[in-house]
Amino acid sequence: MPLSMADIDEIVVIKRISGSDEIKQHLAELGFVVGEEIHIVSKNGGNMIVKVKDSRIALDKGLANRIFI
Amino acid sequence: MEIKIALAGNPNSGKTTLFNDLTGSRQYVGNWPGVTVEKKEGKLKGQEYKDVIIQDLPGIYSLSPYTLEEVVSRTYLVTEKPDAIINIVDGTNIERNLYLTTQLLELNIPIIIALNMMDLVRKNGDKVDTKALSEALGCEVVELSALKSEGTEALVKKAIAIANANKLATANEVISGEAKEAIKKIENIIKGEVDEKFLHWNAIKAFERDEKVMESINLSESKKAEVEKVISECEKALDDDSESIITNERYNYITEVTDKAVIKGRKKGELSASDKIDRVVTNRILGLPIFAGIMFFIYAIAMGGWSISIGTAATDFTNDVIFGEWVPGLFDVILGALHVEEGTVLYGLIQDGIVAGVGAVIGFVPQMLVLFLLLSILEDIGYMARVAFVMDRIFRQFGLSGKAFIPCLVATGCGVPGVMASRTIENERDRRMSIMTTTFMPCGAKLPIIGLIAGAIFGGSPWIAASAYFIGIGSIVLSGIILKKFKAFAGIPAPFVMELPAYHVPSFVGVLRATWERGWSFIKRAGSVIVVSSVIIWFLTAFGNVNGHFGLVDELFEDEAVVTDEYINELSAKMDVPTTEVNSMDASLLASVGDAASIVFKPLGFGNWKPTVATVTGLVAKEEVVGTFGVLYSYDDMDGAEELGEEGEQIWDRVRADYTPIAAFSFMLFNLLCAPCFAAIGAIKREMNNRKWTWAAIGYMTGWAYVISLITYNLGGMIAGEVAFGFGTIVAIVLVVTLLYLIFRKGYQPKGNEGLEMAVKINA
Ligand SMILES: Nc1nc2c(ncn2[C@@H]2O[C@H](COP(=O)(O)OP(=O)(O)OP(=O)(O)O)[C@@H](O)[C@H]2O)c(=O)[nH]1
Ligand SMILES: [Mg+2]
Repeated sequence: MPLSMADIDEIVVIKRISGSDEIKQHLAELGFVVGEEIHIVSKNGGNMIVKVKDSRIALDKGLANRIFI
Repeated sequence: MEIKIALAGNPNSGKTTLFNDLTGSRQYVGNWPGVTVEKKEGKLKGQEYKDVIIQDLPGIYSLSPYTLEEVVSRTYLVTEKPDAIINIVDGTNIERNLYLTTQLLELNIPIIIALNMMDLVRKNGDKVDTKALSEALGCEVVELSALKSEGTEALVKKAIAIANANKLATANEVISGEAKEAIKKIENIIKGEVDEKFLHWNAIKAFERDEKVMESINLSESKKAEVEKVISECEKALDDDSESIITNERYNYITEVTDKAVIKGRKKGELSASDKIDRVVTNRILGLPIFAGIMFFIYAIAMGGWSISIGTAATDFTNDVIFGEWVPGLFDVILGALHVEEGTVLYGLIQDGIVAGVGAVIGFVPQMLVLFLLLSILEDIGYMARVAFVMDRIFRQFGLSGKAFIPCLVATGCGVPGVMASRTIENERDRRMSIMTTTFMPCGAKLPIIGLIAGAIFGGSPWIAASAYFIGIGSIVLSGIILKKFKAFAGIPAPFVMELPAYHVPSFVGVLRATWERGWSFIKRAGSVIVVSSVIIWFLTAFGNVNGHFGLVDELFEDEAVVTDEYINELSAKMDVPTTEVNSMDASLLASVGDAASIVFKPLGFGNWKPTVATVTGLVAKEEVVGTFGVLYSYDDMDGAEELGEEGEQIWDRVRADYTPIAAFSFMLFNLLCAPCFAAIGAIKREMNNRKWTWAAIGYMTGWAYVISLITYNLGGMIAGEVAFGFGTIVAIVLVVTLLYLIFRKGYQPKGNEGLEMAVKINA
């Protein structure tokens, strides 16, 4: 399921990131790679703040929908 | 021999903090990613280090740039090649930071790792074994706290040593398995085409299909095909694209390293204080009101008329006492001692030109310092990135990106860095739009205009300042909605992804320094540009044609034979001032030029020579609008000289007498929104890098200012009962309808990938 469906305070593991543009690479540089754990810190209306590799990253709904967990 | 040492690292890792500490400069530091957008050189402090140059660079996540400012860093590191790299690693987030490190190690440039934020690492209870880290990475690792300047000395010594010895990191195998084999093969193919020293790096980049590198090595078609074959075979074998393969290899390597060297004090999933704050301030309901509240509060403290408004209190004191009594008094004494008599040209130049003009501007310095202080605190706390995030959710619905809010917030201090901050916007069309609209924000130099109008006309109401702020934001948002419907701007903004730094308590010294830095540059301008402008303005008001006689208008006005009652009536009608208020300046050169141009502003309610001249001089620097007012409203009345010492208030009283509230408000709006000062126009030109777009930006801003002021004056004036129904009202209504149409129409629908172009691709 997409990351946007995960609940607040959950810790989930990335299974797949769809698409293959610059953004996918940029996400990887920020630490979003397959197998990585993500902690959901806060959510509002699909946009979310998550923790990945000790950094806190804000994502919009569109991106959260492309990360599968 | 000169040594160049570059500071490279992730955004917000503390590079500029270290740079300032090492070189004694005062570059912009803030707690959000993407503060530095341009490279900056500085000489290392200390006599023994005369030849050492330190280079501050924009933060990067990798050597493949994603936004425009990252191109600067990549180009510098890859093509200009410093003698050594200090890689700043944020110690609280080692894993992610080491991703870049693995790439920097491949550049074959002497490198030392500075593990920054050690104060926070200790506080969090994390343990980092720097020795193990250094062994695993094959280069030296030193602990650092740039903020507290701990460890900088040792770092610099070691960096210079490795640069002098050209000591490279000992080879380590970041990439393993099939990918390693593939890269070996590519190395063999491109051997001889590139510098042997950088063979490995070029091979990896070729494997990742990096366009820039492929261009630079310029392979023959057959070799290109060979490389492509190696890549696709490896991709097939590992069932992934080549870029992701390398990324995974890097992270695998890093995990091995950190498993050995880093022990975390905090469990995964534990919430930090920053996380708890974020749950409140980025809340979907509370997020926006909190932001609006904070901004209102900032302006209320700096510019309001309340008991908490320390800025206003200090400005009143400066205006009424310092520049009202002390300075003119002091100059009177000095000029008296030098036998410069009142009534002479020199006396007029100094007292009515320089003292009045510069004084009118300097008077606002206290308010400005308070504003700058509060903004510096805001920037250092870490809230800026959150504003972008909160705004993104709302503005994406209109096709706008929240990231554009960071340039706007920066522009609240000064428009020049504000315009430059638009480099962090990914989408080219959105970046252009942001450059075009960012200077709608009321910058520090526009603050005297707001202060003058609020103080003289509206009794110091904080709502005037706050409204100026929200009109700035409103103009940006509405412009965004309107422009996005045109073909040149259509397209969905890039997805929002941004690192949010941890909140921290601002450092007292840092904030004071940043405040002073901004305030000082303002004071310096008052002492240079504003003095010169005031002198020019004064000269142009001192000479003129009085009833057919050319000369010093003041002297000609003494002559009853020249200045007949008839002439006064004529002048009063021409210049649109009451006969009792007519003075010699109204006959000056500046008055006649201003009067000819003032017709342009008639529909906006301030079609008079004084505000016309003030508006034009605002192009030099926005505070000069007020400086010009200082000169133009500092005159002796026809009914005898007023006694000196009430200068400040006298100017305000005269301004109040000259403008209706709605005309004054319209004047303020126009000056806040129209083309920015020359410095900001220069920044727009540099960032657009295109003449057509630069003119489009200037034209758009001025046009927008004109339309908004016209509507406000005519419709607002009618509601307030100050302006009668007339042709202007009809024009205003037509304009409102047009604006509404432009806002709500369907607009151009981009096809396919249209409008998604990345700024990096187009401009790099
Ligand atoms: N606690 C702590 N904070 C630090 C340290 N070094 C820097 N900071 C803070 O980190 C934030 C970012 O610092 P900058 O120097 O602007 O970072 P930068 O790497 O230049 O950032 P960009 O220009 O955006 O790439 C500021 O709020 C600094 O005060 C440190 O050693 N300890
Ligand atoms: Mg910086």
